[in-house]
Amino acid sequence: MSTTYDDAAVDDDVTYSPAPPRRRALVVTSAVVAAVLVVIAAFGAGWFANSRNHPGEDSVEAGFARDMSSHHAQAVEMSMLALDKSTQPDLRLLAGEIAQAQQAQIGMMQTWLRDWHLGPTGHQPQMSWMTDGASLVHDGLMPGMASAADMTKLRNATGSEFDHLFLRLMQQHHLGGIHMVEGVLAETNETDVVWLAQSMANNQRAELEFIQQILTKIGA
Amino acid sequence: MSISTPAGDSSRQTSPPAAKKATAGAGRPPAARGARPSGGGGGAGKGTRPGGGGKPRKPITPVKVSQGRSWGPIALFSAVGVIAAAIIGYGIYAVSVGPKDYKEMAAGISGISDFRKSDPKLTNTRSHKSGSIQYAQAPPVAGDHNISWQNCMGDVYDAQIANENAVHSLEHGAVWVTYRPDLPKDQIDALASKVRGQEFTMMSPFPGLDKPISLQAWGYQLKVDNAGDDRIDEFIRALRLNASLEPGVGCSGGVTATGTTPRELQQQQPQGQ
Repeated sequence: MSTTYDDAAVDDDVTYSPAPPRRRALVVTSAVVAAVLVVIAAFGAGWFANSRNHPGEDSVEAGFARDMSSHHAQAVEMSMLALDKSTQPDLRLLAGEIAQAQQAQIGMMQTWLRDWHLGPTGHQPQMSWMTDGASLVHDGLMPGMASAADMTKLRNATGSEFDHLFLRLMQQHHLGGIHMVEGVLAETNETDVVWLAQSMANNQRAELEFIQQILTKIGA
Repeated sequence: MSISTPAGDSSRQTSPPAAKKATAGAGRPPAARGARPSGGGGGAGKGTRPGGGGKPRKPITPVKVSQGRSWGPIALFSAVGVIAAAIIGYGIYAVSVGPKDYKEMAAGISGISDFRKSDPKLTNTRSHKSGSIQYAQAPPVAGDHNISWQNCMGDVYDAQIANENAVHSLEHGAVWVTYRPDLPKDQIDALASKVRGQEFTMMSPFPGLDKPISLQAWGYQLKVDNAGDDRIDEFIRALRLNASLEPGVGCSGGVTATGTTPRELQQQQPQGQ
């Protein structure tokens, strides 16, 4: 830079001596301005990259991942009870499938949150990521979830009473879960989220049919 | 950083300031000199220049100072500069605006006790032991524990639970909300509404508590006077799941019975409430 300034001064400036300081000031000023602009641009780029490359703290996707993890956890809890208590082979098969699939899906959703640099807990109320979602929460329960009283009943039930109760509760649980899945599909284009949400809906619809078959068989 | 372009060479030639000065004073570039006889406007001022005398000199090979700008290195240095600035900028962004680590969140809660810092020996003690275990804190925040954990799927227990099972739940990432039994009912209900249906939380009364309410996560404790205290939500947000020593291990399949005697494996079923 200084080279060009010297040269320019010699060639062009009539008033030779006072020119250089002004030139120098100009160069320094533009360098500072350029540096500030670069820092601002970089800061903006950082913000942009952070907010656009993956869903943010209060996003629909993060809310879904957190809430569906909790929702799934109860299905796993019920299914593990069924594996422990039911004597119906097809019901035990169904329960094993639900427990394995949903526990694996919890892992996927928790991994998204880590990949997105988000915590597993948010500060928004449950279900608030979904349109009118907060109104679907009753007594801390997301759509389709079994109440504490239902869970106690399930733990204490035996034999065909257990089988019926389990199937009814899981039916409600799946219906509520599919409702949440439809809620996220209506609002996201995030590839992985769409993929997993669709597979949840497909699996759970198939399992609802299976539940219906078992209920018919054991006499609903 | 090997810049071996012609442009790079020319910029290096001109770099010593001394040489430049000499060149500028003595040897005018031929083009400029040729312009003078024709009476160009530039001529007048040039005579006043010190050392720039009009007498002909041996033509020092004119070092062409400004052979156009050296765009190659300028572009390269600019690119490197922008990338460096972007990295630094992103770093500043991440530190200042980005999501906070849960430990930072916890540290920001006033009045919280961080036993991971103050007593790492305690918080690194986590063996399975049967029977009754003595804990230095009431309620306990870490340490050896029963092989069975207390179910922490948002369970609201209406009676005391065993410390030995509860500590195991903390290890799984649960926040355990405890209250002194004389806490007014509306406050108990307010606390329960933060717990019920919320996996990785559980709640139980704790007789003899030195404060109305105490929250525990593995290695952390916060005691507050009122269920309306905002720090309760902050504690749950910061430490629920996050404080787990065994990520991926859940809260279901645990003891659902109450009572202060630790429940071993075979005592779990059936349960009542």
